Amino acid sequence: MVASAQARATVDARRLPPAGSPMSDRMFGLALALPAIISLILVVGIPGVQTLVYSFQRVPLSDDPATFVGTDNYAKVLGDESFVESLVVTLQYTAGYVLLATILGLLFALLLDQPLRGRGIARALLIIPWATPVIIAGVMWKWLIDPSVGGLNAVLFELGVLEDYKPFLADREWALVFTILAAGWHQASFSALLFLASLQTLPNEIVEAAKVDGATAWQRFRGIVFPWLRPMLLVVVVINVIYGVLQFDTVWVMTQGGPGDATTLLPILLYRQLFIFSDIGAGSALAVMLGIVAVLVSSIALILLGRDNPLEA
Amino acid sequence: MSRSVLRKKAVTALLYAALVLFAVWILFPFWFLVNNSFMTPEEAVAVPPHWIPEEPTLGNYSAILAGKVAPGGAEVGLRVLTALGESLAVGVLTVMVNLALGGTAAYSMSRYKYRGSRLTYLAVLFARLVPAIAIVAAFFVALRDLGLINSRYGLVIVYTSFTLPITILVLKNYFDGLPRELDEAALVDGASRLQALWYVIRPIARPGFIAAGCLVFLESWGEFFYALTLTNQLTIPPVLAGFRGFFQFNWTTLAAATVLAVVPPVLLALIFQRYVVRGLAQGVTK
Repeated sequence: MVASAQARATVDARRLPPAGSPMSDRMFGLALALPAIISLILVVGIPGVQTLVYSFQRVPLSDDPATFVGTDNYAKVLGDESFVESLVVTLQYTAGYVLLATILGLLFALLLDQPLRGRGIARALLIIPWATPVIIAGVMWKWLIDPSVGGLNAVLFELGVLEDYKPFLADREWALVFTILAAGWHQASFSALLFLASLQTLPNEIVEAAKVDGATAWQRFRGIVFPWLRPMLLVVVVINVIYGVLQFDTVWVMTQGGPGDATTLLPILLYRQLFIFSDIGAGSALAVMLGIVAVLVSSIALILLGRDNPLEA
Repeated sequence: MSRSVLRKKAVTALLYAALVLFAVWILFPFWFLVNNSFMTPEEAVAVPPHWIPEEPTLGNYSAILAGKVAPGGAEVGLRVLTALGESLAVGVLTVMVNLALGGTAAYSMSRYKYRGSRLTYLAVLFARLVPAIAIVAAFFVALRDLGLINSRYGLVIVYTSFTLPITILVLKNYFDGLPRELDEAALVDGASRLQALWYVIRPIARPGFIAAGCLVFLESWGEFFYALTLTNQLTIPPVLAGFRGFFQFNWTTLAAATVLAVVPPVLLALIFQRYVVRGLAQGVTK
């Protein structure tokens, strides 16, 4: 058995030989993957299909069976005025969030790629906001901008920017700005970590050669660094778009969607449908639409990136 | 001094100024948080604010240990400590489930071809794209029927849905980077395929397991939406979010609870910085 294994290993190094086991390699591979496959079917596949089914049903709170209602739930969600408002807020939120998290992340990565003293410490610092759970970023920022205890009001007041302490979260526009800022604080670090990882794979010789040829910093950025970062930029933008559209944590903890409906993002609306109005059918319809948007956005990016660089996020 | 030298110095100065701004952006919220956690509620509302506590107190921390929402307040059985414990339990269990299921699956995907292996890989990619928030209704009904609402095992099951794809992708990438000669040498030496995986690949792949484990633990520790909707403030995120609902609520005590909640993930990320960052990049791109 061992001898034949050896023979096969030399003939075909890509396939592992069966060593003393009656099971074929194909069966062995399947058996190894099976527990994970079954788990994913149970915790992603079935809930996904179930949600899709719920979205076409009226689901009573009791044990009574659900009834099929066709596309009523979708009509209900789409016909609701609050849905359109929420969609607009979500788009505004996502635009601000993606711009902030991506641009700031890019700037951080470019800065920390420079040969500066203290760069090691700065890179460690960069990890901290990313490791800070989004929900905790929300708690920190909520109180940081609070008018009674918050430090930001004091700083802005001392600098003369504010004439008086301002309850930012009571203001429709400021509430949106600061919920974006809190989530962006976390996400800018995430973007920067990915950009930095990409920058570190950029061969130094290329940049040095350009320097020798007299290229300015801006020319080097436009001609070498930015093209190098482009695939990663696409990945980062896509992830940020999805996290923006699906943002819940910071908004929930800072404003719960308010004041009024100023920060009622679609996930907040989803939460209300499911757990305040206990409307599992309508909530599922909204969830299905959110899910389709997320999968579509990523799939388009996957195709754009090509088969060699599949998006795995 | 020539103009170009002056220019270079100016650029360097600008870069260091940017570095300082960068540090302020990250540390200012933390400084404010930690600072307030050592203040009395009275000092926290001082105008102008104190940037260092004038009379530092551990009152907020001891109040939390005693299950209170404020120093000297009534005992309300505030569950910060138990919630931290539950967060730890859920995180560790989720990591273990992930490494066991994800490790074998990723190894299989890296080394073996079987009918549908390509499909499995695509299914994992697809599972990664399904947003957690979109399938909560199904989990809610299922866990309710199974009696697993407000259960740490319920959360572990649910968390596996969005962590397992990450684990598989990170580990598959790692295994792909290990030379096949390693497995083959073990098989030639008479090891079974399982033994090759357990005794040869598993120890060598430790950095990959650390990276995947850290990523999963961080995701699990900070997960809020499911913890809010499927439990009654079982883990720490919903406890922090629901703090305001308590009578006699104090920001300074919430600050202390928040410090306790943010230290574990930040420490973990800092200690395993190199592994985590590489895993993060590998989990996102190939």
